[in-house]
This record gives sequence, structure tokens and C-alpha cells, in this order.
Amino acid sequence: MKRCYHVVAIPIRIVLNHFGDYNPNGMMYVLKENECKVKELVEKHPFSPVDLVQPLVIRANEGDEVEILFENQLPFATGMNFQEADYDVQTSDGANVGFNENTLVDCGEQTLYQITAYHQGVYFFSDLGNPASSDQGSNINGLFGALFVQSRGSSWTDPITGGCIESGMYADIHHPFLPSFREYAWIFHDEMPTVDLTGNKPLDPVTNQERESTHAINYRYEPLENRKKLIDEGVVCPDCDGEEVHHDSWVFGDPASPILRGYVGDPATIRIVHGGVKETHAFHYHVHQWFDDPTNQDSEIFDSQAISPQTWYDIKPFYGLGSLQGAIGDAIIHCHLYPHFAVGMWGMNRIFDTLQDGSQCYPNGERIDALQPLPDRPRPPSPTKKRPGFPNFIPGKVGCKAPRPPLGIVGGRGLTELEKNAAVRNPRPGAVFADPCAVADAPVVKEFNISVIQLPLIYNRQGWNDPKGRIFVKDEDIEDICAGRKEPEPLIIHMTAGTCIRINFTNRLPHVADGDVFQLVTRTYEVGMHIHFVKFDVLVNDGANVGWNYDSSVLPGETIRYEYFADVELKAWFFHDHLFANYHQQHGLFGSGVVHPRFTKLLDSCSGKEVDSGAQVTATQPLIPDYRDLTLMVHDFALIYDQDGCPLNPPEYPSSPDDPGLFGVNYKCEPLQFRLNSPECDPAYSFSSFVNGDPVTPILHCYKGDSLRIRLLQGAQEESHSFNIHGLRWKTERPDVESRFDSQQHIAISESFTFETYAKNSGDYLWTFETEEDLWNGLWGLIRAYDEKVDFLIPLQDRDPPPKRTQPLPECTGCPPAPPSVIESAAPSNAPLKRFEIVAFQIPILYSHFGERDPFGIVFALEKDMNDILKGYKDPEPLIIRANVGDEVEVHLTSFLNFNQFPFLDGIWPYPPVKEQAFYPPSVRISLHPQLIDYDIKTSSGETVGFNPDQTAGPNETVTYRWYVDNPVGTCGMWDMTDIRNHRSLGTYGAFIAEPKGTKYYDPYTLQPVNSGAQVIVVNPLLPVTREFVLIMYDGARLVDKSKQLIVDPVDGILLLDEIDEDLVDTYDNGSRGFNYRTERLINRYTKRAVLKDLFSSNVHGDPSTPLLEAYKGDPITIRLLNPSERRRAHGFHLHGHYWNSDDTDLSSQIRSFSPGIVTGFTADLPLHYGAGSFYNLSGDYMYRSGNIRWDLEQGIWGIMRVYDAIQAHLPPLEK
Amino acid sequence: MPNNEDYIVKVPTINDIHDQMLIKYFEDEVGRKAIILCSSFPFVFIGVIIEVIDDYVVVDVETTSISQLEDRDWYIHIHDIEVFYIEDGEGPRIPELRDGD
Repeated sequence: MKRCYHVVAIPIRIVLNHFGDYNPNGMMYVLKENECKVKELVEKHPFSPVDLVQPLVIRANEGDEVEILFENQLPFATGMNFQEADYDVQTSDGANVGFNENTLVDCGEQTLYQITAYHQGVYFFSDLGNPASSDQGSNINGLFGALFVQSRGSSWTDPITGGCIESGMYADIHHPFLPSFREYAWIFHDEMPTVDLTGNKPLDPVTNQERESTHAINYRYEPLENRKKLIDEGVVCPDCDGEEVHHDSWVFGDPASPILRGYVGDPATIRIVHGGVKETHAFHYHVHQWFDDPTNQDSEIFDSQAISPQTWYDIKPFYGLGSLQGAIGDAIIHCHLYPHFAVGMWGMNRIFDTLQDGSQCYPNGERIDALQPLPDRPRPPSPTKKRPGFPNFIPGKVGCKAPRPPLGIVGGRGLTELEKNAAVRNPRPGAVFADPCAVADAPVVKEFNISVIQLPLIYNRQGWNDPKGRIFVKDEDIEDICAGRKEPEPLIIHMTAGTCIRINFTNRLPHVADGDVFQLVTRTYEVGMHIHFVKFDVLVNDGANVGWNYDSSVLPGETIRYEYFADVELKAWFFHDHLFANYHQQHGLFGSGVVHPRFTKLLDSCSGKEVDSGAQVTATQPLIPDYRDLTLMVHDFALIYDQDGCPLNPPEYPSSPDDPGLFGVNYKCEPLQFRLNSPECDPAYSFSSFVNGDPVTPILHCYKGDSLRIRLLQGAQEESHSFNIHGLRWKTERPDVESRFDSQQHIAISESFTFETYAKNSGDYLWTFETEEDLWNGLWGLIRAYDEKVDFLIPLQDRDPPPKRTQPLPECTGCPPAPPSVIESAAPSNAPLKRFEIVAFQIPILYSHFGERDPFGIVFALEKDMNDILKGYKDPEPLIIRANVGDEVEVHLTSFLNFNQFPFLDGIWPYPPVKEQAFYPPSVRISLHPQLIDYDIKTSSGETVGFNPDQTAGPNETVTYRWYVDNPVGTCGMWDMTDIRNHRSLGTYGAFIAEPKGTKYYDPYTLQPVNSGAQVIVVNPLLPVTREFVLIMYDGARLVDKSKQLIVDPVDGILLLDEIDEDLVDTYDNGSRGFNYRTERLINRYTKRAVLKDLFSSNVHGDPSTPLLEAYKGDPITIRLLNPSERRRAHGFHLHGHYWNSDDTDLSSQIRSFSPGIVTGFTADLPLHYGAGSFYNLSGDYMYRSGNIRWDLEQGIWGIMRVYDAIQAHLPPLEK
Repeated sequence: MPNNEDYIVKVPTINDIHDQMLIKYFEDEVGRKAIILCSSFPFVFIGVIIEVIDDYVVVDVETTSISQLEDRDWYIHIHDIEVFYIEDGEGPRIPELRDGD
């Protein structure tokens, strides 16, 4: 079927909320038939949100051809670049890339884009005519939208009228064979230039400084700061403080941000789209859970999920709206990054239990819009006086805080008559209007007494501390923890599947939190325990104060009773406070529950006594292997002081939103600046317990061969982190054995992951939050696998007991360990051996045609290439080596590093910066750590960790590693682990590609066999001959321009920047970036020719410096994508006109044209569907790029895949 | 050269015999307690064998992976069973598994 839309790009004033915050220079796509109407409405209502001012969402079915007549009314050339779609890049790319025809449209002109939708999902579209990240860019101002592609045969109607719709954020989708469902667009976007009603930048009424930048959904946001002004002025709720009522509709009425409406049980899909430019957000949806990959029923279950710019995913909540327990009420949906949440990035899912025909009102008199029941669902009952339905049975008072729930608070009230009529058959504390524990017959009840307390937390041996730590504790532990007999750690409670959990929750916090250098005085008088994953009654048990629900928090000295049901085995579930989280979550107020398989017993790993809490326990289960269970909770914005009381990384002023403080993991950190105890202060031994002792951060103790479950959560507050375990790996989707192996995981606040693995060898495994600033500030620890019995660790009951101890345990000596006497090999004795003689040396690296270079570069290279590189016959590039499954790999690595060739000999590395700068002199040692493949951790991990032997090489020394390729894991990062401060920015990384057995590799231009290189032809007798392109996305490089001036990216590369805001960038945004030691910064092109629409054109500027990927149409292509570099800002990756399975090992995984969440340690293998030129095998230039307009694209993270239709002299075709 | 006899399928095939023996084995064990593992949800069954109908074994399931599916008869396709053990009075007893024990 062909569908036709006439879309116009227009300038428009976007009013973002009822307080009149607006973007005077907004831009949007709109259907032609709505253009005049929307302009008229905006003119008539300049200070109110106009419904039609919304991101354009249009729809089509799988298999449809979609024709877009595109018209541009903006004062620069624009276009519509579609992700996921098949199209002719010469006519419908909506861009001006390489040697393609220009498919942008000048002001006042039109063009016709033709695309085909061959798979379901979100076809995000945005402009590439103006890629500036500054306030003058197009994307930042709203020029994005989406085409939602449905199952073949679907139709859609307006949820209010039931009539047909051409576009719109919300629709009811119908299908002859499938259930109807509610479809909601949830389009995150950030950094939109915003002023308040007076035309000035909005201020925070508490600090009187500018508030956090705009973080919005669907062109709407509802900042705390605006609502707080109404309290301060005495308009509403004079006894309130602010944050505790931020989401309270009883006080303020409904927010301007999206309210997704439905009836309890309605099937629904929320299409989460990131149309913004910069941040990786964390989508969290109270009450509900969903599959990570909706096409794969074996995929992981999420209830909080990160999303990077220009990416998307679908959320299909299990059991429909209200989940299994049929919860009615307001389930808040928000970005969990707390500063974003506070500034308004939230909305709600409103779940009604009675029919809404448009005649009802909310308690404040606002009319409730009609909502058509889905045609194949039972019609909800009409409201009556006795049973008015949500929210009209709740005894609240408009203008005042939401009422407390009935029954919940000890000593509190009972039910009103209306509440009784709305209640379940057996109402009790925490389960009044839904009964989650009724799912099972007489489930086991597990009761916990939990309090929140304030106490000092000591983060490390150097005395870094948070004097105002706030934590959850079991009541029976309060005395021991406060007396120092028990070390504080995040509260981790354990239970088994099928348990009804009851919590008696007591607020023991002071009414007021004192002010200090980090935060102003705050009246944090309420606290709640908001839970993820488990089933509960959202009205009374959310531990929050949302919409027209009850306020289910508790005042100081009071106890509230909560009830949840853990229906199945789950990952660790996150809990935290939802009332004053912006004040005290980063002080440690978070914890987790772990739902184990039924019949599991949890034991203290030392004594063997049964326990029900603890971050590290041993689990024994009669049907599955016993396991060690470790929970790690990372957090940023840790507001800590040194032992002398000096604040660490204090903000410019108290309560500033600019990333204050440092980091912790389970309330501990082990900064590398304090681990220079070797005789020459050599950073190469910073992770060595021989030299510096064990870290204070968690060490998971186990025996060789033990099964492990690592629970990974982030407790606070705003930033992305990258978790890695060196030497272990796990299945990405834990329930799915077909999913790929990973050894790294991007994480944002509130996300939860469980990694199942086992300690194959004895020794010390390093776990890290691997980005430079995290690792530098101490986010790392160990997994210690013993080969012989120790008296502080019980053996797993279902395994043979470990041998008796014959050797004393190693101890800290202050001296570097010796190298291993024997390099153990994981390979069988008959494995084919591949040897690589690798050298590391210093050499200037030219990064672009514009003369940008790193004068102090350090590269890994094959020894045979070293002279050619040094003499300039060969360009330095990241070392990329390959071996096949079954191969043993022997690496001989030699260091030729020279101390005097480092840029900062005084040991202070100024740029790119990190928080908490300190002395850390350059190491002349080097190492090479690989991901995912198999090796003995004690000899071949390429790092000197714990009580393992030395695995690094000093100048003119050679270290040997033996690796075994036991699995076709594809892309593996490789990097140096001797000195993360002085080496990584200079290029000490590469890649190892684990190919299928029997693969041979050839140079794509000479067809000669090769054993290294970013671009090869891979030939395997059982697989198609394929072009393989390795793209190493790096960040954090330190470059100079041709005048030898330091390039301070991203600021130096920003297009159309009017003024430089000193606080524009965070530490981890700094550094230059691109692919494979190359970059193509747009500022150079713009300086040469100031025409935005030509920035990606090779006709105008020649080809970019980044790798040119060349192929013939239809050639099978695999892209190996990785990021082994250093910065914490997550990137996305997108290739125009192509798509692939999100998991290359799982054919049922979702098809996508992007990869999200790219940070240190990320790897992916992208076999392109249909090969070069995609479905239609069309020639042309296809741009590959980051999805981050701010600050990747301008700064050089883009390149071209060139697909030819005619034979080129320089590029031999693939042999059939 | 293969001769035509190589292509003649002899009935019952070795697979038929294998299947039939499994069915007979379960028929002989009616009334005994079994633990059965399957590759599909809910993966594990513990209970007394009630009867065998064609190639289905009917089990009065007292324990499986989630409690909502217990205390009912399950019809399990014998050829989907990956692993089983039936108490015969001589070997080890199947443990009683109860929540909260």
C-alpha cells in the first residue's frame, strides 16, 4: 500500500508548559493540512501550550511505501532523514552526503521522499541540513519526528473520538487478528533553548541561579522550580516544601507533560524515542515491566531502560496497563536521571477503572476527556455516585497535599465509604485497591523491618567521607551499624519467587537537612520506599506522591506498612526514596531486593548461617547449581569530603545542578591517586594488592569453578557508567542461550542487570566502571577465586570441597610482583598457534586532512610494521588482529616507551580533565588486555591486578600472553591497563576479532593474505565472502591543530556558537573523537566554506578523513564496532539506509539501524541485512555516524560507506 | 551403487521402538513419584504419575517452578521430556520442596 503525507518544516513558538516557558525559535515538522491551523493557534495563544504543537508522528504498515512531499519553510536547507527505512540514497536520504545528490530542500522549495517500511518499529526522522549542536541547530529546536510502522493490516483511530487520524502522538491500533492496543509516543528531547514568560532564562527559586537545562517529552516539561514558586507565593499547599509534591495533582492539577490514558488491562505499546541531542536518559515506568526485546520472549525483563540520542525502543507492558495485579491510578513515567526528573522530564500513565465518556471531571473540576474503550476489551463500568472510579473516590483536598493512604500508616485512619466501595475484598495495609499477593494461593509471607537513618559514611582508608550519609537499614542492624560494629553498605534484601513481601518502614531521619557547600538547607521531612519490579497497589504503596494517588510516604517517627508480591524470579529490584531524592539519594539512600528461584536458601558466605540480607551471600538451591551472589550499587554525585573536611569537587554554589561530588560503589571508592606505593610510583601497579594492598571496595570471594551471579545497579544520580569484568563474560540476555556474550554493560540510574558467569580459573579478576574518571576515582574491585580452602569462605554445597590449603595466602609486600614463571594456556595442546609480535611506541599521529594531530601518540603495532610507521611509510592506525575459533594466540608485547616523550612529565594530566586531579606520573610500562576470549587471569589478562603476577612490560622488555579463542565472540576490545591517565588519550587501544573456525583474511585492495588491519575480506568455506570493517569509536583524544594549539573539544568544534558558557560541558565531555585515530570536525569544513548544507558533501569538501568503507552493491558486510577509549558520555551509532539484528547471534532479535549506549568496553557485530546498499542494493554514499548531535557529529564522529555499482580499478570485487 | 533395499523403511523404526519403550516405562511406573525436566516452561515437574494416555504422561504436580501452576494434573508429552527420575524405593528419594522451608 502506498501512503502519502505532505510534511512542512516550519518555524514555531513552542510553549512547553502552563507556566509559559517557551522556545521562541522552535522548529517542527507538521502535516500540510495542519500548518495554517497550528500557526493560527500559536498566534492566538502565545503563552499556553497548543496541542497541535507536538512532534510529528505519522503511521504506516509493514510493507507500505510511504511518499513524503516535503516542503521547507525554515531559513536554511533542511530534510527528513529516516532511520530503519529502505530508500534510494540519491533521492530520499534527506541529507547531502559524499557524492550523492543533495536531497536537502532549500527554503521555500519542495521535494518527494520515497521510502519503504520493511519491518515494524519506529522510523525516527530528523534534519541533517543544520547539524549544529548550539542553540541555532535544528534538532535541538525540535526538528524531529517519527513514523510508527505497525503490523501489516493494521488501522488506527483517535482514542478520544474513535474517528480516523492522519497523525498524532496517541492512537488506538486495531488489527483483524491481533488485540487492539493503545499506542503512545514518548519522545524524549533535551537542551531545547528555553526562556520563561518574561523572556529571560528560567531561574531556580531556591538558588536564584539558572535552572537545569531543558529535558522534555513531546515538547512539554513540568519543572519542579515552577511549581515550587506557587508554594512559595502561598498559592497552594503552604505547609509543603516542593519536591515532595512535585508530581502531586491534588496540589497543582495535572502537568503539561504527557498523560497516557487507558483502562486497566488495556494492551499498550509505548514507543520510546530519543529525539534529543546529548544525554543518554533512563526511561522508568512505575508498576510495569517489559521485555528488553519485544520480539524475543527469552530476553531480559526491564522496568527501567537507558536510551541514547536518535535511538528508540518499544515498551509492551506485561499484562497490559496496571500489570498482573490490575493496579489502577497514576503510574508516573520519567527519566530517572534525577536532575532531569526534577526539571520536568516526567509524565504519567493514568489507568482508569470506570468509563470516561467526557462527562466526568477530576477533583479540581477539570473535565476528563472521553476515552474510547478498545473494541475487543470488556467495556469498563460507568461511574456511579457510590463507585465514581479513580480518582474520585479518594478523599483529597484540592490545593493541599495528597491524602495519606488508608490502613497503611501505623496508628493511621481506616477507609471511607467511597474507599470501601472501591477496595479489594480483603483490604489491608499496602494492598487496598489491588491485591498483588492474591495471585498465589497462600503465598509465603516475608516481613522486613526497615528504617532510614542518617549517619557518617567513610568511603576509603584516606578518610573520604560523607558526614550526612542517608541509608536504608534493617531495624535489627541499626545499633550495630551506628556503633561501628557493622560496616554500612546498601541494604540488599533477599527473598524467593512467590513471596509476599511485607515491609514495616520507619522514617528516622531528621526533619531538616542542614545546608553545606554542596546543598542548601532542605526540609526533607517525608520519605518513602519506592520499589521497582515487584507487584503492588500503586495508589497506596508506591512510596511516592504522584498524580491523583495517595501520598504513600511517611513523616519522621512514623511507620508505614507496604506489601509487594515477587511473582517470579527477578533480577535485583531497585528501591529508593521518591519524595526528596534530589536531596538525599546521592547520600546513599538506595538499596535492592533480590528475588531468587523458589526453594533457594541464602547463607552467610563466611559462617554458613542462613541470612536474608547482605550484598554478598551464598545461594544454595536443590534444582540448579549453587551460586555466589554479589550486588554492586554504583553512584555518582557522592557528596564527600576528605579527612580534613575539605569538600571534593564541590559545586560552584550549593544546590547547583552541575555534577557535584565524586563516586562510590557500595559506599566505597579506591582512587588510583592513592595507589602509587611502588618504588617508582609506577601507575602500572595501581591495581596490585602486593604493592598497595587490597582495595576497600567489594571483593567477591569464591572458589575456582564457582557459579557467580553479579547484580549490577546504579543508585544515584545522573551519569552513565560502564561496568566491565576482566576475564569473565556472560550472555547478554540471561534467559536466552542464543544471545551474544558480553563482558561490559552500560548502566544508568535505576537500571538493574544480573550477570551469570563462573570463575573458570583461580586468581583475581578485576571488575571496573571503566571510563577514565570513574576508574581514576576508585570504582573498581576484585573477584577473588581461591584454588585452595580458606577458613572465611564456605564451599558451595553441590561442588566437591576445595583442596586443603598448602600455600599461605599472599600478602601486601609493597613491592611489584614477579612475572609468572609459566604462562598457562587455556587452549588444548593441539590448538593451532598464532603468534603476534607486538610493539608499543610513541609516534605523532595525524588525525585529519586539516592537520589535527596528536604529537605524543602511543600506538600498538606489529613489530614488522614498526620501522615503516616510524619512517612515515605507513600511517599509524589502531592495531586490529584476528584469530579463529580453536586458535591459540601467543602475544609477545614489547614496550619502547620513553618517559621523556610523554606530554606531562610532572604527573599532572590537564586535558582532557577528570574530577579530583592529582599526581600520577606517566608509566613507561605497557600491557594489552583483551575482552571476551579465554585465558588464565593470573598470566594473560594484560594487567597486574590483586595478587596476580606482573603482566606488564617495561622499556625494552617483552611480556607474553596466551589467549584461546574458544568461541566466535567477534569484536573484542584490547587496551592498555598500565596507566589509564597518561596512555589512553594517546591511543593505547586496538581490537581483537574472534572469527569463525576456518576463516582466512585478505586485504580488500591487494587481495593478499593479512593478519591485521581494520578492513579485510573474510573468506570462510561455510559462509559468504564478506567485507569486514572495524570501526573503533574513540573519545577523549588530546589533539593539536596545525598551529600546534591545543584543540579543546567539544567547545572548539561547536558550530554557530554565540557565546561560550563556562559550564557548558562536563569533565567527561572533553576530548576529541572520531573513528580509528581519525576525525572529521565540521568546524574545519565550515571555516573553509560557511554553508551548512554542504558540510557532509564530498563534492564540496572531498571525502572525510575518517575511514572510507568501500564495497560493491550487494556485497555482504559486517561492521565490527567498539569503543575501547575513555569518556563517560555515551554515544550512539547509526548507518544510513541499512539495518541489522540487534543481537547478531540471535536471528529473532529486533531489527534496528542503530546501536545505543556506546561507552568504554562496548562491542557489537553488525552484519548488515541484504549487504551493501541494503534491500534494493543501491549504490551511493551512506553516512555512518553518532546519533549525538551534541557533541559528536560536529566533532568528527562520522564517515562514509561508499557502495559502487560499477567495478573500480582500485577495488577488486568479491569472488563468488 | 546402493540397492533399493537401502531405501526401504522398516517399521517399526528404531525411533518408534525407543518411543514405545519410554511410554511403557512410564506406564509401568504409574503411582510413583517422578521429577521431570522439560525444555519448555515451566521446565520442572515433581509429582505422582497418575496415568499414561497415548504418549502423554499425566502427573499430579505438587511442585513446579512457580506456585500458581502446582496442585493440578499436568499432561506432559513424553517426548518433550529431557530428563526424568522416578522413585523406585531403592534409589534416593525426591526431596519435598516447600516455600519458606
